Amino acid sequence: MTLPFHQFQQCLKTLLGITTVLICTCSWAETQQEQAIQAPVNKLHTSLINIMQTADKESFQARYDVMEKTVLENFDSPLIAKVILGRYWKTLDEKSKLDFINLFNRLTISTYVDRFDSYKEQSFKNLSTEQMKKNRYLVKTEFVRTDDEPVSFNYIVQKENDKWKIISVIADGINDLSLKRADYSAIIKNQGFTALLTDLEEKIRLLQPEL
Amino acid sequence: MTGWRLFNLAKLLVLTGMLSLATGCATTQGINNDGDPDPLEPANRVVFNVTETLDKHLIKPIAESYVDLAPLPVRTSVTNFFNNLGYLNVILNDFLQGKFEQGITDMLRFTYNSTFGIAGLFDVSTPIGMPLNNEDFGQTLATWGVDQGSYLYLLGPTSTRDVTDQVPSTLLNPFFYLSGIIFAPISAINAINTRANLLEASNIRDEAALDTYTFTREAYLQQREFLVHDGNPPATGYDDIFNDSDFADDDSEAESESGMLIIE
Repeated sequence: MTLPFHQFQQCLKTLLGITTVLICTCSWAETQQEQAIQAPVNKLHTSLINIMQTADKESFQARYDVMEKTVLENFDSPLIAKVILGRYWKTLDEKSKLDFINLFNRLTISTYVDRFDSYKEQSFKNLSTEQMKKNRYLVKTEFVRTDDEPVSFNYIVQKENDKWKIISVIADGINDLSLKRADYSAIIKNQGFTALLTDLEEKIRLLQPEL
Repeated sequence: MTGWRLFNLAKLLVLTGMLSLATGCATTQGINNDGDPDPLEPANRVVFNVTETLDKHLIKPIAESYVDLAPLPVRTSVTNFFNNLGYLNVILNDFLQGKFEQGITDMLRFTYNSTFGIAGLFDVSTPIGMPLNNEDFGQTLATWGVDQGSYLYLLGPTSTRDVTDQVPSTLLNPFFYLSGIIFAPISAINAINTRANLLEASNIRDEAALDTYTFTREAYLQQREFLVHDGNPPATGYDDIFNDSDFADDDSEAESESGMLIIE
């Protein structure tokens, strides 16, 4: 049995319509997914530009408060702490784990406030998002400077309780997670976990002259 | 070539060969045992401590004084000059890595900067689309499949693979063929200028590091990997740190079916 030409045309139009809707839906879903993955990175960048622009006007504490909210909401600190401490994590009691996470957050926030302390029209530019293993993504960005070459800032992002969160920052090829893991392991191995906490407290104190 | 220069060349070759052989053995041992990138850590730490002390009390203060005294345009020109002098090594390694287009561009860059840039004092090539590239023999060996080898700390961080760059970079530097009277002071200026360019990075390191030796080593090894891949290493390489058996052995922190790490 053959279809009349106008019916064939109708079928073709319907098929084309469905395909177009499907493609648009997939494309929209992909865009939404990419935006969700990039969201914590974009929020971090917005806050960094904010504390740079207000460096001359606002106190260290005021800028610290801005970054504290951003870091606590957009970084998966428990996972970061666990990966950094590696095998030592399992040997710690709950209080020690929480003490370390708290100190690590304070150090991260203080470091951001200390380093991003002037504004010369710098900006962040998103480059791409690449899938890694096990539902982790690498968000590639660069820090664009008016007076120098751009600096590569990449982020590993993973979903935690239906929310995408940053689990590592890779600045100019140097993965903060790997770096801290090696650095902190050396201290724990040679001096013990208590010495690590003392050293972190000292680093925070040096970064926070006003607190 | 003078007898003095030949003697220096021989010393360089012997030193590099000995280093590669000695540490090459150690590397194999390290990899066979547990993949430790730094099997020579005790010896490296001794050299690191001596170098850091020398740097803290002598080289860094000189570099800081140099920054205070020499205006930025002067320091930029000094950096341009030494970058240009060492650029023949970059060109050689472009071709050894099969980057022919980049090699030709770098040859043009060297010619432009050496002539229109007045012996390389001014970088006239970057604004016209011929940027400074960073290639060396260590990166070339990496593209040929040679592993990083053992980490070494000599006058700075390096490795058994990367230290081999000393041979082509020295032989291809025109200043190597000048007499010692000119070579020595110019090398000193180069060293001070290089240290001055690293002041910001070393200050950030000192601010962030708890164990300065380990921090320097990790940063160096990661930075080298980044350079080997021309600033674009494969994303999957960053997954290694999450494939830790420490997690898999822990029942309370096992991986879910979806592969996500579950935090208590």
